[in-house]
Amino acid sequence: MSGVNQKEFEKLALPLLDPLYNFARWMCRDAEEARDLVQETFAKALKALASFQEGTNFRAWMFRILRNTFLTSRTGLERRNTVQESEEGFADSVASHDTPELALVRRADSELVQQAIAALPVVFQEVVILADLEELKYQEIADALDIPIGTVMSRLARARRMLREHIVALLSGKSDARKPASGKTVGAKS
Amino acid sequence: MSCQWQDKIVLFVDDELQPADQEEVSAHLSGCSECTAAVAEHLALKKAVRVAANRYSAPPDLHASIYRQLHPHARVSPWWKWGMSSVCALLLAALGYSLWPRSSGGDAMLAELVDQHVIALSSSNPVDVVSEDRHTVKPWFQGKLPFTFTPPEVAGTTYKLVGGKMVFVQHSPGAELLYTAGQHKISVFIFQEQGSSKRPARNSTFNIKNWSENGLGFYLVTDASDAEINQLVSMFRDANRS
Repeated sequence: MSGVNQKEFEKLALPLLDPLYNFARWMCRDAEEARDLVQETFAKALKALASFQEGTNFRAWMFRILRNTFLTSRTGLERRNTVQESEEGFADSVASHDTPELALVRRADSELVQQAIAALPVVFQEVVILADLEELKYQEIADALDIPIGTVMSRLARARRMLREHIVALLSGKSDARKPASGKTVGAKS
Repeated sequence: MSCQWQDKIVLFVDDELQPADQEEVSAHLSGCSECTAAVAEHLALKKAVRVAANRYSAPPDLHASIYRQLHPHARVSPWWKWGMSSVCALLLAALGYSLWPRSSGGDAMLAELVDQHVIALSSSNPVDVVSEDRHTVKPWFQGKLPFTFTPPEVAGTTYKLVGGKMVFVQHSPGAELLYTAGQHKISVFIFQEQGSSKRPARNSTFNIKNWSENGLGFYLVTDASDAEINQLVSMFRDANRS
């Protein structure tokens, strides 16, 4: 059986309001736009209730709607177009993370980590937020973002490497974290 | 660290391994300090992202307009009614928790323990070894941890053992045992003592007990009151006394 009724939807969706808004704010970087995006997401979800497959992850489904809505917005298009992404192999990306910077990561306060997250291109930002904050499984992220699971893994590895680099750079205060972390990627503008 | 382990460690930290692989990595970690350090580093970054990325809350008027969207014919918009639903309250508690410790760096250990406890509360698989029997749970940790400990016999008390799992806190491997006492959940963490000083035993929401026995550090994290946990603390002390 598929679909949920409106009452079930409320029960499932209302607790997601804050997480969805949080995600939207990161994506849009603007309070007003994030607001509109969340409202539109709820409206679309409400209309599409029948298409929700019971047994699949409702959270992932809501994030998928939000993210697809974002993609069609002006900001979404702009932010995506600033990124030419190069997908790397999973092992390759992971292996290039050499020295563990545990002490540095621990020293970084939230504000600094927020700066590092904000400096990520949107395709890396979304994957790392869905994985580490929303704790979606790789497969759920793949479904939410409409990308293969291998791409989830390689983007995630890359996102984390860039975060480490940003954090180290911010802590050492030498370089600008908004600078692209890798030569192949063009950083998104704010 | 060989590449084989590097890849697996990422999957291990993201909880994407099948149970057999999960165990294989756990077993490997108990003998490999390099990989243990890598796990700790991955976890630290994940946690830093979890805390930092959780940055914005929906403004009250958005709550209100979503409510109106869902109930176009309702006259009032009591968004606060569902806003205070238990799920929201739990999320807020978890958020409050994740924010609490980092501002005061000295309590990083306790902060991580509270995080671990909150994770156990919210997870659908809070433990890796599920058993009410301490004779099943204790051997499960053997070979995984560089020390041994003795869970007390809780049969006949108000406590029930749910199971246990490996945790990595402040770079060190340890055990988390999960108990229930009525509606309350209690996590007991056990680590090798590293000469650290005693830490405050209480914060505003969770009740935390810390004691040492035989070179091991014990930490109990729960929402239950002192009266409800004192017996468990003394049973643990007795069971692990030399």
